[in-house]
Amino acid sequence: MNTAIQKIKTDKLIVLLVLFSILSISLLLQYEFNLKQALLFLVGISFGLILMHAMFGFTGGWRMFIRSRHSIGVRAQILLVILSSILFFPIVGGVFSDITSHAALGQVGLSVVIGAFLFGIGMQLGGGCGSGTLFTVGQGQTDMLITISFFIIGATLGSYHLPWWLSLPNIGKVSLISELGWFPALAVQLMVLIVLYRFVSVLEIKQHKSLQNFSLQQKNENFLEQLIHGPWPIWWGVIGLTLFGLVTLLMAGYPWSITFAFGLWGAKIWSALGGDVASWAYWSGGYPAKALNQSVLADITSVMNFGIILGAMLAAALAGKYAPEGKLKSKRVLTAVIGGLLLGYGARLAFGCNIGALLGGIASGSLHGWLWLVAAFSGGIVGVKIRVWMKFDKPYGATR
Amino acid sequence: MKKSNRLIVGTALGLAAIAVAIDHTQHRLPDPIAAEQEQSDMTEDESPCGMAAEESSPCSMDSDDSDSSPCGLGD
Repeated sequence: MNTAIQKIKTDKLIVLLVLFSILSISLLLQYEFNLKQALLFLVGISFGLILMHAMFGFTGGWRMFIRSRHSIGVRAQILLVILSSILFFPIVGGVFSDITSHAALGQVGLSVVIGAFLFGIGMQLGGGCGSGTLFTVGQGQTDMLITISFFIIGATLGSYHLPWWLSLPNIGKVSLISELGWFPALAVQLMVLIVLYRFVSVLEIKQHKSLQNFSLQQKNENFLEQLIHGPWPIWWGVIGLTLFGLVTLLMAGYPWSITFAFGLWGAKIWSALGGDVASWAYWSGGYPAKALNQSVLADITSVMNFGIILGAMLAAALAGKYAPEGKLKSKRVLTAVIGGLLLGYGARLAFGCNIGALLGGIASGSLHGWLWLVAAFSGGIVGVKIRVWMKFDKPYGATR
Repeated sequence: MKKSNRLIVGTALGLAAIAVAIDHTQHRLPDPIAAEQEQSDMTEDESPCGMAAEESSPCSMDSDDSDSSPCGLGD
């Protein structure tokens, strides 16, 4: 891939502003809450930095594979799930009695199928997934501000309708770790993931007669310079996301999640505008009610999301890529609106996004994560076709 | 164009920061000791994901599920 190193023009003003913000918010969180809240904010910063420097996105990886069978993005995602599963299964399975961590379980049923399918379409139209939307907002992409706004609206609407969707046919929550034991479940899961990895590799080889190698990505003689300014090879992203995913599981007590916060932000805004959100079934009990009635800074998911945006902003400024040029066209505004709504509504119905349901769900042994993957990828295929139909992308054959 | 993009994004993030500040100050700030206690209570018993086994599920929809996890809420 790219081996040429260009002179990087760091956006020093943005770097200073972001560093000041990170320091201020960290101190505020420690003072108002506790050290853990501040550290989880810094974990969010790390996620943002990794996602941005490695350009680790699910949406683009899926689109490349669907359109041209280039599988490097999809293989990186599979590797991330494999490594995370190896680390998460024994912890969630209770091997370490001193550690209390819980799986990202969601009920396996029609709501996941429909929600993830809508999410998959939304990814391609909106231009990002849960993590992708956050880090591209941090990068300063103005169109993604529209996507995230409607992501929030969709998630809020989804929380209003969720009781009805949950009443649709389902078999409840299924934990592979509870059903099979952590080791057999891990062995089965790894076998499936390895077969999947091999399958996408074979499809790429069949199409292109060769397989793009991770090690052939960006090379820079100066390691420190590449570490700070990027771009990173995608496998650095895989390692970084795996390690900080583990830190999140250990510190928060559950896998990394993103979209609960979007619904919370929307519910708080609607409440501030006079809406009676507290009467909605979803927000009337348990953790959602508590989160609604306390500061948004008390919610770990929200704090980590703020961190991701700032971390990506820092990385973009260090790389001289903050607020890229680009004129916003009306057609792009339309897809950002529709995509954002589908992302938010779908994520609420499907018990999560690509992070909470796909990565967190599968890596912690929840069957709903696998169902989410199949349904969202199917939605992704539809979304890619819609992009071609809307002339955002050339027809498949034209790319080869 | 780049400058206007910076202005748009900066304004949006600035407004978001103001909204967070308003939300934070609207909620009664507990004294530091109580806050610490409350936070530990929350993390042990009421994580987003309905970590507490005896508590209602993450989605607060099905209360009889003892296996509930953070994740009902999801994502």
